[in-house]
Amino acid sequence: MLLATAALSSVHAQEKENAVQLVTAINGEISTLSLEEAAQLFLGHRTTLRDGTPVTLIDLPSGLVRNQFYQLLTGKNPVQVRAYWSRLVFSGRVRPPLEASNQAEARELLAKNPNAIGYLPVGAADAKLKVLFKLPITATN
Amino acid sequence: MPRLIRFGLVVFGLAVFGPFLFAPSLHAEAPPFQLSGFATIGMVATGQSDLRFIRPSINHPGAENPDFGPDTIVGIQGNMALGQRASVVVQITSREDPLGSYEPRASLAFLSYSPTPYFTVRAGRLRVPFFMHSDTVDINYAHPWVRPPTEVYSLNPFQDLDGIDFLFRGDFGNTNIEVHPYFGDSVLAIYQGGNSHLSNTRGLNVTAATDRLTLFAGYVESDFAIKWSGADFLALGAGLHQLDPILPGYADSILAQISGNKGFSTFSAVGAQWDDGIWLLIGEYVRLNSRLYTHDAHAWEVTAARRFGNWTPYLTLARHTEDKPSVAPNQTGVPMLDAAIDAFTSARNLSQRSITVGTRWDFHRNAALKLEFNHARISGKGWGNFFARDPFNANMRDRSINTVGVSVDVTF
Repeated sequence: MLLATAALSSVHAQEKENAVQLVTAINGEISTLSLEEAAQLFLGHRTTLRDGTPVTLIDLPSGLVRNQFYQLLTGKNPVQVRAYWSRLVFSGRVRPPLEASNQAEARELLAKNPNAIGYLPVGAADAKLKVLFKLPITATN
Repeated sequence: MPRLIRFGLVVFGLAVFGPFLFAPSLHAEAPPFQLSGFATIGMVATGQSDLRFIRPSINHPGAENPDFGPDTIVGIQGNMALGQRASVVVQITSREDPLGSYEPRASLAFLSYSPTPYFTVRAGRLRVPFFMHSDTVDINYAHPWVRPPTEVYSLNPFQDLDGIDFLFRGDFGNTNIEVHPYFGDSVLAIYQGGNSHLSNTRGLNVTAATDRLTLFAGYVESDFAIKWSGADFLALGAGLHQLDPILPGYADSILAQISGNKGFSTFSAVGAQWDDGIWLLIGEYVRLNSRLYTHDAHAWEVTAARRFGNWTPYLTLARHTEDKPSVAPNQTGVPMLDAAIDAFTSARNLSQRSITVGTRWDFHRNAALKLEFNHARISGKGWGNFFARDPFNANMRDRSINTVGVSVDVTF
């Protein structure tokens, strides 16, 4: 029983550690965003919201959080995502997401750009940002 | 060789320092200008000393073996936003061209305007979208192969579309549909001199994509002109004109089937790609029909690749078949001239079939190493994707040729 509880709490801890949240400026132009719309934006299928609001995407540098985010949102692994985006960018169809050099710069960019959306590990957002949704999607999400 | 070394140093200099040079500085607003780039250093070794691998009408037949010419390329791209709905894209690439020059050229230079999320119009220099993977035919990092299968992608070697296109997009359930009409002109230099020219090109592509499956169909028709000025064409012309005293005008009537500005061609392509993260399956079929100057032919390829972490081994089968040569054989009744015509059309017949096994290794976050082995067998009277170092004494018939390709692809 003790072992099962410990295992369960370890799973919860791991989930929390791997969870990523999609964020935007608290006073920005984006109030809600569906999972589907977010996936289409981060796969370059669209560059605006359905109402026509243009969106600037903010990427974190290569690493665990970025990989986790794309895997959870789009189902694509890092190798797939990089090849996929190179196809979009070098055909001139879509501008690549803006890559922040770290989470602090991502927070700064997101807070100051009312049309920007990005992602951060759960707990890494500050008061200038609001959470659009959390990944992975859970029943309590 | 010094030219190649300089080229290589530029490519790797950009790959290493590019991220520092081109990293966007972070401001409150997204920067209006972004630079990015791609490069491949690739070499291909041909297993037979009298032949060289060539990407027909793309690169210059090299004397070196291994040859860095067919696959090595570097491209720099700038995207400039003009407000929220318009942008300018300029891409400069350098690669060995059919004349053997690495002179940089504008491979993209267009203005894009998207008044709604579902519609974009682009005008200027675009990439010709004849194939399923036309957009990335030079972006080797984007696909599993060292190069897209040449049996298929050499059937229509035009690169630029100077014109206009329209992208209509729609979401239907979980399927994204794109309807893509396009119009324009295209010019291609020919090895040994001359050029070919597509004009009044009008085409339509339709792409349907879900998360995993992409289906593509395209059709294009175009007026077509070709002007040969190479040694083999001049020799053929001189030979045919020997008939002038007995058959006035006959030589010109034969040459008018090979070179002129009254051609018309249609090109069709269908393709499918499945990518579930583990398996990557690709298939494409293309067909070219032409009135005058070039052959009718069709080609197909199928590829199966499987990802094991950063490794992606793959297997490709491909075939290119000539359906009708540009000039019917045995027209003159003079054995020597018929042989000369036959030699001319054979050198432009790319018929071959091949099997390729290879692997991609994503060894760095923006770089992939690829190694592939190709076994090709030339079909019929064709020359396949090979060039004879002594073209006037070449015996290409039914040859089997092995090549090994190694490349490093980077994006920055």
